[in-house]
Amino acid sequence: MLLAINTRDPRAIYEQVADGIKELIARRELREGAALPPVRQLAADLGVNLNTIATAYRELQKQGLITVKHGLGAVVASNTAAERSQGELLRPLRAALTELVLTGLAPNQILEVVARELRTVTKGSK
Amino acid sequence: MTLNQYIVIYYIIFWAVRINGCVRRGRQPLLRGPEWFFSVHVRPDFYIGEGRNILRRYWMRMLIPFVVDIPLAIAIFISGHLQLLNLLILAVAALIHINHSFSVPLAERQAQPFAVLEDEQPVSSVVFSLKPRRLRDYSNRTLEIAIALSSVVAFAWLAHYYLTSPDHQNLRQVFGPPVLWLYIQSGFLFAKFVIVAWRSPAPQTQADKHLEAREERRKFYLRMCDWSRILHSILILSWPVLLTASPSYREQLGNIWLAGLLATTVALTVWGEIRRRKILKVVLLARPVKLPDLMGHAETLKWPVCYQPSAPLSVLKGAHSYSLNFANALTQLGTAYLAGMAVLVTVLFMRR
Repeated sequence: MLLAINTRDPRAIYEQVADGIKELIARRELREGAALPPVRQLAADLGVNLNTIATAYRELQKQGLITVKHGLGAVVASNTAAERSQGELLRPLRAALTELVLTGLAPNQILEVVARELRTVTKGSK
Repeated sequence: MTLNQYIVIYYIIFWAVRINGCVRRGRQPLLRGPEWFFSVHVRPDFYIGEGRNILRRYWMRMLIPFVVDIPLAIAIFISGHLQLLNLLILAVAALIHINHSFSVPLAERQAQPFAVLEDEQPVSSVVFSLKPRRLRDYSNRTLEIAIALSSVVAFAWLAHYYLTSPDHQNLRQVFGPPVLWLYIQSGFLFAKFVIVAWRSPAPQTQADKHLEAREERRKFYLRMCDWSRILHSILILSWPVLLTASPSYREQLGNIWLAGLLATTVALTVWGEIRRRKILKVVLLARPVKLPDLMGHAETLKWPVCYQPSAPLSVLKGAHSYSLNFANALTQLGTAYLAGMAVLVTVLFMRR
């Protein structure tokens, strides 16, 4: 149940934290009802600003993946994110596919990459 | 043997343990081989040049506790108040650890200009385990019940003795030592809580080795805390036994008690050293790396203390030094504990 942070990643740290937790939820490493460390504790442990973790948790809460109770920490609310429109869901996928096409990969290679990543993301989930 | 003679023997054992600790700490800079100075990967010519002076200065700083201890010990021996040696042992033990915790980062900072440059760059990728870690996962239920029960029995016994004894008993004489031991014991419980709660990211490369090394060290320190708590429980429980024993047996019991205490201290020290060597093998497998500073903007911090609620770490790194952050709950609790200890010692030993 490891959360990875990379300082060379163009995403902000709060995004990396939120995405990392999302991946753990998707892989069922964090199941419904699992407790996440309180904002203050996680910020202290990671050595980041309080607002960084608070923003990450807010993002996850907005998507319906966690519920935050003041003083009690956060709990995984659901293993599926709140419903979003198809357009919203496809936008990041299309951007990622565009990047892959631009790197010169053939469609079958892209499909392979996508399949491999999908396996990694859903590893452990039913 | 008299109590004073036992205290002197205890002090001599303390010296033997310290010398062993000095040798161990003296070797620490070179544990990873001649290419390393503590966790700094140094250039091959480091120990031929300035490195030798840095190492010598580190060794000299290790003598500071001796400089403080020797004159005070001489004064205590001349004055004849040998019981003060107990307090001296506590104070010097604390000083040794504080001195070491300042001396190592200072030596590493001095060695950094001679480091292999590529190893001085912080790693870009770190991982952090979200697996919950609770104090109760590292606690033995039976042991906790035994410790709690022994304290309750001892204090109930003391209360009964104080209230029913026909002779007028001094409250501080009856309850003073066990209250102090109970306070120290609760300090070890607090230390356990801090050890379990303390977490930090590990480098992504060799993450498993780093996490294993941390877990081994964590278990070792938690066990040390538990042994100290057991030892203090025995002290607390044996106090009413000693007080209520008939005068003819009291001296004999006192001797057994003190000899047992000495033997246990020696056994625990030996056990600690053996465990330490085993852990060292695991720790040396994890290559030291610099972790990235994910906080940033710390240059405005004041030394030695600050109040930064937005950065909830207990110690914050500023541009030139470290600062103790009083916005951290553990810092607040630790400070309150030390203040409480100072008040308790003053009340128990100084007031007449």
